[in-house]
Amino acid sequence: MTIIIRFIIVSTTLAFFSFFYFYINEDKYYPGADFTISEMPNFKLKDLYSERLFKIEDLEGTFLINVWASWCITCRVEHNFLTKLDSKNIPIIGLNYKDEEKDAISWINRFGDPYKFIIHDYKGELALDLGVTGAPETFLLNDGKIIAHYRGEVNDMIWEDVFKPIIKKENLFNVN
Amino acid sequence: MKAIRKQRLATVFLILTTSALGSFLIIRALDSNLDFFFTPSELFLENIPNNKRIKVGGMVLDGSVTRDKTNISFVITDYEGSINVEFDGIVPDLFKEGSGVVVLGYLKDKTVIAEDVLAKHDENYMPPSIDIKN
Amino acid sequence: MLIEIAHFLSIVATGLFFLCFIFSIFFDSKDVYIINLVSRIYSHSFFIFLSSFLIYVWLAINDNFSVLYIAQHSNINLPVFYKISSIWSAHEGSMFLWIIFLTTWGVVYNFSTKNDQLLKARTLGIISLTSVGFLLFLLLTSNPFETILPLPPENGADINPVLQDPLLAIHPPMLYLGYVGFVIAFGQAIAFMLEGDPKIKWEKQVRSWSVASWSFLTLGIALGSWWAYYELGWGGYWFWDPVENVALMPWLAATAFIHSLSASSKSSILRIWTLLLSILVFSLSLFGAFIVRSGIIDSVHSFANDPERGLYLLSFIGILVMTSLLLFSLRFNLLISSKKIVSLSKESFISINNIFFGALIFSTMLGVLYPLIYEFIFDQKISVGAPFYNAIFVPVTLIACIFLYFSIDSKWQQSFNLKALYQPLFLSIIFSVIIVSLIFFQFSISGFWTLMSLTVGLIIIIRYLIVIYFYFAYKRFANFFSIISHCGLGLLIISIALNDNLSSERALNIKINETEIYKDHKITFTNLRVVPESNYDSVKADFLVTNPNGDTFTLTPEKRKYFARGQVTSETAIHASVLKDIYMTIGDQLDDGSWIVNIQFNIFIRWIWFSAIMMVVAGLLLVHSLARSKA
Repeated sequence: MTIIIRFIIVSTTLAFFSFFYFYINEDKYYPGADFTISEMPNFKLKDLYSERLFKIEDLEGTFLINVWASWCITCRVEHNFLTKLDSKNIPIIGLNYKDEEKDAISWINRFGDPYKFIIHDYKGELALDLGVTGAPETFLLNDGKIIAHYRGEVNDMIWEDVFKPIIKKENLFNVN
Repeated sequence: MKAIRKQRLATVFLILTTSALGSFLIIRALDSNLDFFFTPSELFLENIPNNKRIKVGGMVLDGSVTRDKTNISFVITDYEGSINVEFDGIVPDLFKEGSGVVVLGYLKDKTVIAEDVLAKHDENYMPPSIDIKN
Repeated sequence: MLIEIAHFLSIVATGLFFLCFIFSIFFDSKDVYIINLVSRIYSHSFFIFLSSFLIYVWLAINDNFSVLYIAQHSNINLPVFYKISSIWSAHEGSMFLWIIFLTTWGVVYNFSTKNDQLLKARTLGIISLTSVGFLLFLLLTSNPFETILPLPPENGADINPVLQDPLLAIHPPMLYLGYVGFVIAFGQAIAFMLEGDPKIKWEKQVRSWSVASWSFLTLGIALGSWWAYYELGWGGYWFWDPVENVALMPWLAATAFIHSLSASSKSSILRIWTLLLSILVFSLSLFGAFIVRSGIIDSVHSFANDPERGLYLLSFIGILVMTSLLLFSLRFNLLISSKKIVSLSKESFISINNIFFGALIFSTMLGVLYPLIYEFIFDQKISVGAPFYNAIFVPVTLIACIFLYFSIDSKWQQSFNLKALYQPLFLSIIFSVIIVSLIFFQFSISGFWTLMSLTVGLIIIIRYLIVIYFYFAYKRFANFFSIISHCGLGLLIISIALNDNLSSERALNIKINETEIYKDHKITFTNLRVVPESNYDSVKADFLVTNPNGDTFTLTPEKRKYFARGQVTSETAIHASVLKDIYMTIGDQLDDGSWIVNIQFNIFIRWIWFSAIMMVVAGLLLVHSLARSKA
C-alpha cells in the first residue's frame, strides 16, 4: 500500500514538473518577442549627423532596426553585442529615440558606432508607429515587412533563441 | 484495531468517491467555461455558435475605427482575414490603429459584439530591461 | 567599491548558510553543542547577508548608478521612499528582498526558540538550505550586483510611473512576508520527519509563525486587490488572472493549514493532514514565484525572463517538493495515529474543511494549467476566466460555510450536543431569512446564488452574534479569533454577492456643461483643464455629481500623458462612501468635442477589503495571544 502511495507521489510530481520543463523549452516562449508580420510604416526623418532626410525608400533588403537612446541604460549593455553583430556584417540601422542630438552624438563617440546610419527620431513619431514602448527594442525587416520585434536587450541568448530561428527559416543574411 | 481499520477503509473509500465525483464536476465546469482564442482568419474556418464566448486577437486595421457616441466599431485583422468588432464603452489607453488588440465577446452574424477590449501590453506591463525616458 | 563589498558579503553568507545546513544534517542534530553551533552560524550568516542588503539600500538612496539594476529602476528625482521601493520593482531586486525575508523569518525563529528544542538545528538547516538555493539562483542567474563600468551614467532611467504608488510599493513586501514565513513550518515538518519520532509535538512550535505569515499573506492579497481597483480603471477587485491565482493557492492552503494546525497542536489528530499541508503551502508559494518569474505567463506581474531562470527555479522547486513528499511517504506509517476522529467533533469538521480547500486548490491549479496544457497539445489558445472559477468557488464556499456554521458548536474530541443547537439554529435561520427577504423586496435582488450567499453569510454572522451575547450574558466560552475571522468571511461573502448583483456601469457621451442622469444622480460636466506637472501633462475633467438627497461632490478623472514616451494613463476618480463607490474614468474625445466617460456604481465594495482586514486582525490577535501564553 505504501509503495503504491510512493509511486503515485513520485510519478505525479515528476509529470507535473516535466510538463513545465518541456513547456519552457518550446521556442514560442519569450514574452518580449513578437512575430506578427506588419508593414514598415512610412516616415520622413533626419539623419543624426546631417540635414539629410531618410524615407522608407532608403530602407532596402534585410536589416535590423535598433531603437536606442543616450538616456537608456540597458542600451549601453546591449551595445557590445550590437558591435559584435556589426563585425559579422549584419546591417543595423539605428533609430535614436527621443534624444537630444548632441547627447546621442557624444554617446556614439564614447562607445562606438555599430550602425549603418542613424535616424534621429526626436519626437518618437516613427517609434510610435512601430509600437515602440521604450528602449532598447529591435526589429528585423525583410522586403519592407517587419518579421520580428523584440522588446528588451538583445544578447547572445536572445539572438540565438529569438532571431536566429527566423533568420534560418527565411534564409536571410546568407545564413551566418 | 478492527474498528479503526474499518474507519480508515471507510475514509479512504469516501475520499476516493468524492474525489472522483468532485473531479468530474470540476472538469465539466471547465469544459463549459473555456474561452477559445481565434485570429480573424481562423474565425471563419470554425463554425462558432452565437452563444459561445470567444476571444479574437490581431491588429486594429488602419482607418477602420469609427465612433458613434459611446459605441466604437473597428476591424481586427491578421493580414489574411478580418472581422468587424463593435463595443460600447471606453477602450484602453493603448488601443489604437495599427496596434495589437484582443477582444472578448460573442459572434453575431459577421461581427463580434465585444464585452471587453484589451490592448496589447495593456496593464502597464513593462519588461524590466526596457528603460523609459526620464 | 561598496557594491563589491555587498556582493562579497552575499557570497560569504551563502557559504555560511550552507555550512549551517551541513552541520545540521551530518552531525547529531540533537546534541546541544551542535544546536548552539548551528544557531550561532545562522545568526552570523543572517547579519552578514542583511548588511549586504543594507549596503544595497544605501547605494540606491544615494543614487549610485554604477549599479546596473539601480540605474535601470531608480532615478535622481525620485522621492527617497520610491528609491527604496524601486529595489523590489523588478526581478533581481525583488528576489533579493524575498531572500531577506526568508532569512529574517529564520532568525526570528532562531531567537525565539530555545536551544533545548530537539528539532531546532535541522529546522534551521532546512531554512538555510532553501536560502542557499535561492541565493545561488540570485547570484548565478539574477545578479543585482552587476555594475556598469567604466562609465556609469549620471542618472538612472525612470521607473514606470504606475509603480510610483505607495500601495503598490507595500504590496510585494507584505506578500513576500506571507509566502516565505511558511518556511518555518516547512523546515520544522521536514526536521520532524527526519527525526522520525512521533512523540515530538512540532505543530505547537510553528503555530504563531504560520498564523502570522497567513495574516501577512491575506493583507498582501487584499492590498493587491485594492490597488488593482483604483489603478486599472475597470472597477474590478479580482480578475482570476493566473498571477492572482498563484497567490490565491498558497493562501487557500495556508488557511487550511492553520485550521489543521489548531487541531494537531492540541492532540495527535489530523497530523497527517497538517504535515502534508505544511509541505503544500510552501510548495505552492515557491510554485507561485516560479510561475511569475519564468515568463510562462505574460501578465501584469510577470517579470520577463529567460528560460535559464525558469529552468533553475523549476529544478530547485521540483527537487525540494519531491524530496519532501518522498520523505513523507517514508515516514507515513509513524503518523497514523491510534486515535479515532470522533464523528461530529471539531476535528471531523476540520478534516472536511481540508477536503473543501483541497478541491478549491485543485480547481484553481487546473484553471491555471489547463490553457498551457491545451495549447501544448492542441496548439489552440484558450483562456479560463471568471465563469469557471465562479462556477466552482461559489457552490463550494457556500457548502463549506454551512459546515462551518455547524462546526461552531462542535467540541474537540467530542461529538456535539445536538439539543443545544436547536435554539441558536432556529434563531439564526429565522433572522437571516427575514433580513434576506427584506433585502429581496427592498432592492429586488434576484438570483439563486446571490440570495443563497446572503443567507449563508448572514446565518454565520448572526450565529456568532448569539455566541457573543452568551459570552457577555452567561460567561459562555467564546473564541474571539474565530469569531472575528469567520464573521469576516461571512461579510466577505455578503459583500461579494451584493457587489456582484447591485453594481452597474454606463458609458456616457457628454459635452461640457451638459448633464446626464444615471441612477437618480445628476452628473454635470463642469470643466476641462490641462495641468502641466513635473513629468506629465494632465487633462482633468471635472464633474459635479448630485445625489438623490441633494448632496453634491466633484469627481475629477484624469488622463495623464507622461513625457517619458508618451505613455498615457487614466486616473480614476472615486467617491467612496459606506454603501458604495461612485467611480469615474474618462475615455477619448470625439470629433464633435464631446467626451466618452465611464461611470460605475460599485456597491458595498469597501466591505470586501474590510472583511479581509478583519481576518488579518484576527490572525494578528491570535499570534499575540499565543506569544503571551508562551512567555
